[in-house]
Parts: sequence; C-alpha cells; structure tokens
Amino acid sequence: MEYVSPEGLRLDGRRPMEMRQLRAELGAVSRADGSAVFEMGNTKVIAAVYGPREVQNRSQQMNDKALIRCEYTMANFSTGDRLRRPKGDRRSTEISLVIRQTMEACIMTHLMPRSQIDIFVQVLQADGGTRSACINAATLALADAGIPMCDLVTSCSAGYLNSTPLLDLNYVEDSAGGPDVTVGILPKLDKVTLLQMDAKLPMDIFENVMQLATEGCKAVANYIREVLLENTKQLENRRGV
Amino acid sequence: MKEEEEIEIEMVTPGEVLGKGSEVKAGKGAYLSPDNNTVFASLTGRRSLVHPSPHSPDQRPTVEVIGHKAHGPVPEPGCVVIARVTKVMARMASADIMCVGSKSVREKFSGVIRQQDVRATEIDKVDMHSSFRPGDIVKASVVQCNNANPRHVTRLYLLISLGDARAYYLSTAQNELGVVSAESMAGGTMVPVSWTEMQCPLTGQIEQRKVAKVGA
Repeated sequence: MEYVSPEGLRLDGRRPMEMRQLRAELGAVSRADGSAVFEMGNTKVIAAVYGPREVQNRSQQMNDKALIRCEYTMANFSTGDRLRRPKGDRRSTEISLVIRQTMEACIMTHLMPRSQIDIFVQVLQADGGTRSACINAATLALADAGIPMCDLVTSCSAGYLNSTPLLDLNYVEDSAGGPDVTVGILPKLDKVTLLQMDAKLPMDIFENVMQLATEGCKAVANYIREVLLENTKQLENRRGV
Repeated sequence: MKEEEEIEIEMVTPGEVLGKGSEVKAGKGAYLSPDNNTVFASLTGRRSLVHPSPHSPDQRPTVEVIGHKAHGPVPEPGCVVIARVTKVMARMASADIMCVGSKSVREKFSGVIRQQDVRATEIDKVDMHSSFRPGDIVKASVVQCNNANPRHVTRLYLLISLGDARAYYLSTAQNELGVVSAESMAGGTMVPVSWTEMQCPLTGQIEQRKVAKVGA
C-alpha cells in the first residue's frame, strides 16, 4: 500500500516532516493537584497528577526520595471497536512502566522524601502515538501541579515507510508494520530519557529517523512552554498581580 | 509591547536557564546542574532575584522561581509542628500533625511521641497519661526518623511494632514545646498553671500535662 504519494503527501495530507496539530489544556480535573488534556491530531489523552502526598503503602516508602506511581489506561471508547480492556493487560503495564521511568528521570524526587506522586493517564481517543501523547500530557500535568522538575519531558514518534522517514505516525501508518521509533527528550538539557523502537532499521536510517523524532520533540516542547506561560499569565491576571 | 517583553523575560518554565553557577545561587524553584555549572528553573512561574545580605561571604544573588501552586508543607526534621493527640499508650502517644511551622498541611501526617522524647529530664520516669490526653493540641519538633537515633537502638523494650519505625517521631523535650491547648474532663479549655499542670476554669480542677511555656 502507498503511504507516501509520488507528490510527497501522506494519507492524511501531511508532508513527511509535518507533525499533527497540537492542542493542550491545563486544569481539566479540578480535584487533582495538576491535570492536562493533550491532543496530537486525533489522539486525545487526559492526565491527572496527585501529590506529593503521604505514602499510602508504608512498605514502599523511601526515606530519601519520593515514590512515583503511574497508571496508563485506555477508555473503552478510545478505539474503533468498543473493547472492554482488562486493567492489568500487558500493553498497559508496559506503557505505565515506560511513562513512570521517563517521568522519574526528570522529577526532582530528592526534594520530597517519604511522599508519593501519582500520575494517572487515560487515553480518550487513540489514533497512533498514544505513548508520546501520554508523556506530553503527564509533563503538563506535573508542571500544572507545581512539582519541581529538572526540565520538561517531551516525546514524539517517527517511522520509516516507502523509504521516507515520517514524523508523528497516526494509527493507519503505525499498523503498516514498518518501524516505529518513539523518543523522549529533555529539550533544554538536550538529553534522551526514552528511546523505543519496534521492528528493525539499518543504523544510518535509524539515525535519520531518530533525529526527525527529536526535532518533533523540540517542536512539542516549544508549544508546551507557550501553553504553560499563557496559563501562568492568566492565573496572575485573575489574582490581580 | 515592551511590557510583554518584560513578562517574557521574567516568567520561566522548567528547564530554562536562569544564570551561570558562578554568578547566581540556586534558590527555591531552581537548581544547579553540576555538568555545566548552570542554574536551571524547576518550576513554572515568575523569576526573582534576592540580593545577598552585605555580611555574607558569598556575594552572589539568589535566583528563585515563584510558582503559582501553593503546596501543602511536609514536616522536615528539626521543624516545629502542631499536632493533635489521638491515642495515648503506656510508652508512646500518637498524634496527627496539622500544621508545619505556620502553614496548615493539605493532608494529615501521623506522628508518634515516644516516652523518652516527652521531656529532657528523668526520661525513664515519664507517665504518658500525665503528659498527654487524647484531644490535646501539642507543639512538638520533628526528630530524625527511623533508626538514626542511637538511644532508640539501646533501649530494647522500645523495639515496638514496625508501624512506629515509619511515623514521624516528635519530641516535646524543650520548655517551649508541649501541650498548648487542652480540654478538661468538664469540657472547658484549661489554663496553664505550671509546666506540669493545667487548671479548668469551670470546675477549678487541676489536671496533669506536659505544658508548653508560652512566650514571654
């Protein structure tokens, strides 16, 4: 099947290096300490952060740093078929672990010993790139909660179909069976916190694809920064500063 | 236009550069990265510079980021907390920590006042029921938690349930610490008489407590 037309357009009309439209909203869950809704094209994800608060399971308490817990779920209505997903299925557990490790790398846990931070991410609409959207939403929610981080974590995916590196795959392109590289970076510190790939790629092409995904991450980072600054300005206006 | 530029300069997001480590010190909401000696922001908020006092040897200003979300404070070792006593047992009293310093906590923390931490003198002869009663408001300071305290290790009879090793250990072993407010058995708020006694204004009855000295 042709994923990139001879004119250089993909199935949804994008150019190979073009990302989907981003949209973010802070403070969607009023009861949570921090929350965010993040959209990448048709993929919609909501994240809520509770913490830092007292550890509920005393045996897991750590005396020198905070405990980070993360839960990733997909809503029943998120995919084309309304599927009742079991809570602990393998994919959810794996992605929960991935998100937890990524966020743990950037949260300054040593500032909050003997406490726990819960990150809940739920996919409302899945159209490829849910992992990246979840990490971006979690970053926004953590920043909204005022939890100290050493940098924002942003994530983006890229693939390689019809001999072209493609940025930000949607569901159809993802199911094509080609390689899918997901990268998570700390944009200002220029460090990689997440790198996953399925399928195989020759080394030189992999470098290109990873570079493309990293650029996508930086674009997401700029957008997230704007959203955070805009939100802070609005809060200050309401407070009358 | 110019105001917008100024706001852009002052408001920062996590990961933004606030200055070089040689020129500024990292305060709240900022941290110093060891690799390249730069101070980065860790919160979203307004950047502010705090000038050093003229006497300090380090004349670098401190850069801080003031976030908009106010967090509930967390008890730290050495800080003074206000707690309400919930249970009094033979060798310890449980208390719920309500305030840390002058701020109230978002979610209550559990604290434990052990027999040897009630007062500084004659710690073996402390009677817990003459020092605290359930419902008393006490001012205490947080001790180093867990088994860091060598006295705790030598007193074998104090190797109590594992749950105690994980609560905040509180100490009232100073003159200014102890019961601040208590209700008598008749229901009236008692008035302190001495460091061991409080009197009920309704009945005149004297009850025993470890009383905090009210500031002169």
